[in-house]
Amino acid sequence: MKHNRKREPLRVGTVSRAVLACVCIAVVGVAYVWQKNQIYRLGDELKKREATASAAEKRNTMLAAQLAQLKSPALLEARCQQYGLGLVAPREQQMVRLPEPGPEWDAKLLAPSSGFVPSTVPAKKPATRTVAR
Amino acid sequence: MTTTHKTRALIVVTCLSLMFTALGGRLVQLHVLRHDELSSQAAANRGQVVQRQGRRGEIRDCNGNLLANSQSVRIVCADPSITTSNAGVVAAKLSPLLKMDVAVLQAKLTGPGQYVRLKQKVDEETAQQIRSLKLKGILFEDQYLRTYPHGTLASHYIGFVDSDHKGVQGIESAMNQYLEGVSGYEVIERDRKGREIRALRTEGIEPRDGYHVVLTLDQVIQHVAETELEKAMSEFHPQAGVIIVSRPKTGEILAMSCRPTFDLNNAGAALADARRNRCISDVAEPGSTFKIVVCSGAMNERIVTLQDRFDCHNGAFLYAGRILHDAHPYGILPVEGILYKSSNIGAAVVGLKMGAPRLYEYIRRYGFGRKTGIGLPGEVSGIAHPLASWSSLSITRIPMGHEIAATPIQMIMAMNAISNGGKLMKPIVVKRVVDDAGRVILENVPQQVGQPISPATTAMMTTALRRVTTAEGTAPKAAVEGYDTAGKTGTAQKIEGGQYVRKYYSSFIGYLPASDPELSILVSLDDPSGGAYYGGSVSGPVFRRVAEKVVEYLGMPPQKPVTNSKQMASVR
Repeated sequence: MKHNRKREPLRVGTVSRAVLACVCIAVVGVAYVWQKNQIYRLGDELKKREATASAAEKRNTMLAAQLAQLKSPALLEARCQQYGLGLVAPREQQMVRLPEPGPEWDAKLLAPSSGFVPSTVPAKKPATRTVAR
Repeated sequence: MTTTHKTRALIVVTCLSLMFTALGGRLVQLHVLRHDELSSQAAANRGQVVQRQGRRGEIRDCNGNLLANSQSVRIVCADPSITTSNAGVVAAKLSPLLKMDVAVLQAKLTGPGQYVRLKQKVDEETAQQIRSLKLKGILFEDQYLRTYPHGTLASHYIGFVDSDHKGVQGIESAMNQYLEGVSGYEVIERDRKGREIRALRTEGIEPRDGYHVVLTLDQVIQHVAETELEKAMSEFHPQAGVIIVSRPKTGEILAMSCRPTFDLNNAGAALADARRNRCISDVAEPGSTFKIVVCSGAMNERIVTLQDRFDCHNGAFLYAGRILHDAHPYGILPVEGILYKSSNIGAAVVGLKMGAPRLYEYIRRYGFGRKTGIGLPGEVSGIAHPLASWSSLSITRIPMGHEIAATPIQMIMAMNAISNGGKLMKPIVVKRVVDDAGRVILENVPQQVGQPISPATTAMMTTALRRVTTAEGTAPKAAVEGYDTAGKTGTAQKIEGGQYVRKYYSSFIGYLPASDPELSILVSLDDPSGGAYYGGSVSGPVFRRVAEKVVEYLGMPPQKPVTNSKQMASVR
């Protein structure tokens, strides 16, 4: 009986659907693995970047302390003496103090009729700027 | 299939069935019966909660210069259960890098247990060198190290931290809640080699670094104060010395220097005596600098004027059975003269005219007997005895700065009130607190805490105090050439064992420009030796030298032409 059973021909649609399903499953599987792999890879990358950032931050802190030490007045003074640079602050007689113009000066300058040089010194005590001669 | 074949097949199937049954049984045992125990054991092996410590904030001066920060360093540890077998080789390799004796290292590497610390505070570069040796059983732990780039500069002001990175003294302690970061954590999983699998980090909270504290201190002015105090220490060999520089109008402290001092990077090695901030913790009888309180109080009450004249009894005044002396005998002196000549008898007579209750009221108004609220730990109130406990002599002794004890910070704040239109300001040491992005978390604004005297009285006081730095006053050596300088000297006898001894506190408190003060400076030396001990001749010149350099640094214009300016070496 069994041998007498007529074999049905393969249908192209069924086969292609089956193949498509297999391909889809394979693609999904590969994608899943690829994605997982990417996650781990990016995780590792992130870890490396974090370590680099952390190292840079540590180095930055260390350099900031070194810079502060190098800029300290005590060290600069010692270096000046060590190398005999003769760096001293200017004497009062070597300085010209310029009165810093206030708002009234600006108003006079902006007025079209006024001359460029103000006729009076500002009544209020002006702030001063020191220039070494 | 023959019977033999069938039997063989049956045996194989049976064996396989038994094997799979046994395997299934084992799986049931592991996954069902011992599930809780084993799953927690697996999680413990794989996962870990890692605490992350926030970095402690920085301390900077008013111009943003770094005064303290925290650096990341390593603790080098070892697992003796691994290193014991190879201790000699490991010790020999580590010894030059850790700068430790080989025998000491070997003893640690062969000790009991599974954990031993070999060395703390190892810098990152050294740690990297050790790591490159790939020694088995050597581990590293993170640690923060507080560093102070300027060593002794402003050590009492800045303070230091303990081994747990908690502030112990100074700003480190006072601002600990801001400086201290907030710890975070991460739940991580590790691979077989103990490395973190970053992709499996499930949860975590980032640590928050501490806020940065910006001080009112200026490191250049502080350096000037430190240098001049050091010179004074070598010249006069006092037991201790103090210099404070402040801005009278705001109460900001620009410099605070004490001697003896200590290195902040090695605070543990310093004696407790050297670590004490004498500006806020030490009290002493202020001596003649206290005359500003009685004279300004009497003028403010209109009991006396600058021109009122008083008999100074030629240097010996008998009151309540005791004789009060002046350093030099004076006859009749105006109130102005009492101040610039610094007559004890004159001050006592003004005090008597003022009366004890009013004198006591002014003592309290100036803030004596209570803390200034500077915000640094260790501040003391000083001693201002209540009126009820005054003796009959007190009214003549307190005006000259005896029977009362004040801290240097109290004295300079009182002088600031006189220079600043009578406004008593709260001293400020912290300008602001900022976060990493520079956002302001806390800002301290100048705060007036009292008005002991009127602006008119302060003008009269300034007139008198200007003459202190003239040739007729007690401190001509304190005069800053070209600048309108005012101040008051103080020479207070020390008490030892309840008796006045021939040891002195020599002090000078001054401000400039007197008409519109930008700076006030206190100099106090405890027991100067070498003959000189008067405030005007010991502390006055120190005041002048500090003032000269600070006005130069700040670019303050002189009020009078400078004729013979000295060349001053300083660093900007």
